[in-house]
Amino acid sequence: MKIWTSEHIFNHPWETVTQAAWRKYPNPMNPAVIGTDVIDRKVVNGVLHTHRLVSSKWGFPKWAQALIGHASVCYASERSEVDPTNRQMVLKTRNLTFCNYIAVDETLRYMPDPRDAGKTLLTQEAVVTVQGVPLTHYMEDLLTSKISFNAGKGRQAMEWVIGKIELEVKDLANTAVKSTDELLFQTRRQLDDLTSKTRKSMDDLQHAAKKSFDEIHNLTTPPSSQSMPKL
Amino acid sequence: MNSIGETCNELKKQYDSCFHVWFSEKFLKGDTNDSMCAPMFKVYQQCVKKAMKEQHIEPKDIEINHLGTEEEKTPPRS
Repeated sequence: MKIWTSEHIFNHPWETVTQAAWRKYPNPMNPAVIGTDVIDRKVVNGVLHTHRLVSSKWGFPKWAQALIGHASVCYASERSEVDPTNRQMVLKTRNLTFCNYIAVDETLRYMPDPRDAGKTLLTQEAVVTVQGVPLTHYMEDLLTSKISFNAGKGRQAMEWVIGKIELEVKDLANTAVKSTDELLFQTRRQLDDLTSKTRKSMDDLQHAAKKSFDEIHNLTTPPSSQSMPKL
Repeated sequence: MNSIGETCNELKKQYDSCFHVWFSEKFLKGDTNDSMCAPMFKVYQQCVKKAMKEQHIEPKDIEINHLGTEEEKTPPRS
């Protein structure tokens, strides 16, 4: 059995980090993860319980494949709890494939940084157990170094997802601003249109009224003597 | 993120986007009522269960909950 632990602080509040945790995959740092499926999800006493099946493509060295068998796609079971009241998110993952020989139990905990509530502390623990195959210790060491390497990539991935979410929020704000501008512009243009149309109508009306008035005037004014036909 | 069942990808995408909104806008703000995405979750679930069966992924292996039990501390079966 081999235990590996690590800590990391994200410069983002817990709420942002937990949102990103759900959207961690796909990311360019962990291309091995090819699928996540929610098997079960429910809210119990204000805590969100989720069971996911995580599918990934693992590249085991050939010699290891000979010992534990070959599997192109590996499956892992991930159980998580999110407690928004106490601001805790815990994810526990165990591999399903190679269950007979290898067990990798990984636990991730996201909580507010005790020194700064605006930051998030991640504690990560992995327990690797290899049984029933030769070179047990060697295999455990190999897996542990692989986990250590992947943990770094996982944290980079989280930052990448957070950046993406922040960009989306900014985009949304930009779109909203643009819409408001657009709306103002449209309204102004319509108002201008309306004004010019009204002005035109008024002019037309005045012109028509003047014409009618002149006509009436013409009718009521007795024709001048010059225009009288000579008898 | 894709589903194990290719046919479920679209259903998963719809459910995921609903869930992300629910999680940030409702759940984290204290509203624990999860009915918002329930209809989408149901159709997606039906699809995944079928895909798992087709790919011979044993639901019984996944259903076992070792968390908080003695089983969690013991090495896997050999």
